[in-house]
Amino acid sequence: MTGFWRVEKAGIAVVTDLGRTAGPTFGLAANGALDQYSAQVANILVANDPNAPLVELTATGLTLRAYAEMLIAVTGAEVACTINGVPRPTWQPVPVARGDVVELGAMTRGLRAYLSVHGSLDAPYLLGSCALDTVIGFGLRLRAGDEFALRRALPSAVNPHLGVSLFDFPTARPALAEVATIDVTDGPDIAEFGPAATTVFGTPYTVSPVSNHIGLRLGGGPVPRRVSSGEILSRAVPIGAVEAPPGDELLVLHRGRGVTAGYPVLGVVTSTSLDTLAQVRPGQQVRFRHTDVRTAIDRKRGEHRRILALADRVGNAFTSLGIDASQLAHALDHPLSTTVRN
Amino acid sequence: MMPVAIADCGDSSLRLTATSGDPEQNWELVHHVARWFTAKPGSAVHCVVPTYDSLLIEFDMVRADHDGVRGQVRLAVSEFAGRGAPRESRRLSVPVVYGGAFGPDLPAVAAFLGITEQDVIDLHAGRTYTIRCLGGPVGSPMTDGPAFATPIPRLDSPRPAVAAGHVSVAGRQATIAPAQAPGGWPLLGRTPLRILDIESDELVPYRPGDRITYFAIDADEWDSYAGQRLRALP
Repeated sequence: MTGFWRVEKAGIAVVTDLGRTAGPTFGLAANGALDQYSAQVANILVANDPNAPLVELTATGLTLRAYAEMLIAVTGAEVACTINGVPRPTWQPVPVARGDVVELGAMTRGLRAYLSVHGSLDAPYLLGSCALDTVIGFGLRLRAGDEFALRRALPSAVNPHLGVSLFDFPTARPALAEVATIDVTDGPDIAEFGPAATTVFGTPYTVSPVSNHIGLRLGGGPVPRRVSSGEILSRAVPIGAVEAPPGDELLVLHRGRGVTAGYPVLGVVTSTSLDTLAQVRPGQQVRFRHTDVRTAIDRKRGEHRRILALADRVGNAFTSLGIDASQLAHALDHPLSTTVRN
Repeated sequence: MMPVAIADCGDSSLRLTATSGDPEQNWELVHHVARWFTAKPGSAVHCVVPTYDSLLIEFDMVRADHDGVRGQVRLAVSEFAGRGAPRESRRLSVPVVYGGAFGPDLPAVAAFLGITEQDVIDLHAGRTYTIRCLGGPVGSPMTDGPAFATPIPRLDSPRPAVAAGHVSVAGRQATIAPAQAPGGWPLLGRTPLRILDIESDELVPYRPGDRITYFAIDADEWDSYAGQRLRALP
C-alpha cells in the first residue's frame, strides 16, 4: 500500500481517459476527455500512459488532501493551483507531500481542466475505457469523501519540501482565445445545402448555454437549410459533425454524440479544433474557418510529434530521478517515423 | 464490383455508402466491409459503424490517411461475394403496451396516416423486423419500419428525455430505446422489459441480423413483465 488521496471538495469532476474507441460499433458514444491534447499532456507529465485514467474538471474546482507523497499535473483550462495556499505551476509535474491540501480554484479562462496522478487511479472499465457515459450511467464522478489509492510509490529524490519547482518542461498550451477559431472540413453531405453551405464561414456564432459533451449549439449566425428532400436512413455521424437541425442554431457534435442520426452532415470540425471547442464557454464566440483534410492531418501529426518529444524528455528526466517512467513507452511505441501509409 | 460512394467524413473518417437499388444487398455489403476491418486487428482503422446502407470508418490519422484507408475499403468491397450467405439469426419477442401514456404519439401517427390507432398497432406488431444495426444513443435495435403507406415525420421538437423501453418509429425506420435519452421519434408504446445490461459484455441481447417481433399487452399486464430482461431465443 502506497497510501491514498481524498477528495475534500468537488464540483463537476469525472474520471475519464481518451475514450471508448470501440464503442460506436455497439451504438455507444466514444466519450472520453473532450480536450484530448491537454489530457495526454497531463498524463505524460506524470509519466503515465497517455490513455490512463485521469480527472476531468468542468467549469469548477477541486480540493484534495494527500495521505502520502504524490506527483500530480494540471493542464487544460487556466486554473489557479495551490498547495497549502501557496501557488504552484500548472502544465508541470508538481510533487505533493503527505498531509498537503491541493486546491484547484476558479477557472479564469477555458472550461475543462485535467488532473493526473503519477500511477493513475483505479476506475471501472467498459469496452476498454473508463470514460463516463451519462446515457447508460457508467463511470465515476468525484464526490467529497471519495478516496483513491496511490498505485505507484515515489522515490525520495522527489522531495516536495525543497520548495522549488524541480521541473521545467516545455509544454505548448491551448490558446484559449476570446473568439475561438474552429477549423472545419467539408462534410460528406455538403452538396445537400447548395451554395448556402459556405455562409457558416465568416460570421461568428455564440455558444448556447445548453451545450455539453454531447454537442454544442451555436446561435447568432446563419443556419443553412437543406435544399434536397427525401428520407435519410439513419447513419453513423463522426465526432465534430456540423448539422443544421430545425430551429435557429447550428449543432456541432462532440465526443458524447449519439452514434447515428438522420441529419445531413454539412461539415466536420477537425480533431485539433475539437480540443479548442472543449475549452469554449457558453456565451463565448466561435468563428469557423474552412480547411481541408490534408492540412488537418498535418496539424494533428505536428501536435503528435510535440507530444512524443515531451514524453521523451519527461522519460529521461524521471528515469534519472529514479521515478518509474515505464508507462511512457505506450506513447513512444507509436512513433511517426514508422507512419503506415496503408 | 458493387456500386458504392466513398466520401471523406472529417480528418479521420470515411463514409462508405452502398448505392445499388437493392436495400438488402446494400445492407449486406456495408456489414461485410465492417467485418472485413474487424477481422484485421492492429489496423489503423479503430472503429467501424455499419448501419442500413452506409458505414462510418474511423481511423488513426497519425498512422493512416484517407487515400490509404480508401484503398482498403475498395479491396473489401471487391471481395463482397454477394448476398445470400446463411447467417446465424436469433429471435426476440417484445411485449408492448401501446398508446396512452406509454405511447403518447400513437394518436398523431394514426391521424397522419389516416388510419385507426388499432391499424397502427396491427401494422407495427404485424411483421418481423431484421435488426439492421445498433444505433445511438445506446445500442438501439434499428430496423426497417412497419408497412405504413408513407414515411413518418420526426417530432418538430425532440423530447429532452425519453424513458427506456419506448418503442418508436420515424421515416421508414423503427427502434426501441434501451436507456433514457433525448429523442425526436414519435412514440407508439413502451415495453416493460429491461434491454440494457451494462454488467454484461454484450450490453444488449441482440446484434445486427437478429429478428424482432412485437406483441400487444394490456397496461395491467405491465407489472407481470416489469424488470424481466429481454432475451434472444435461438
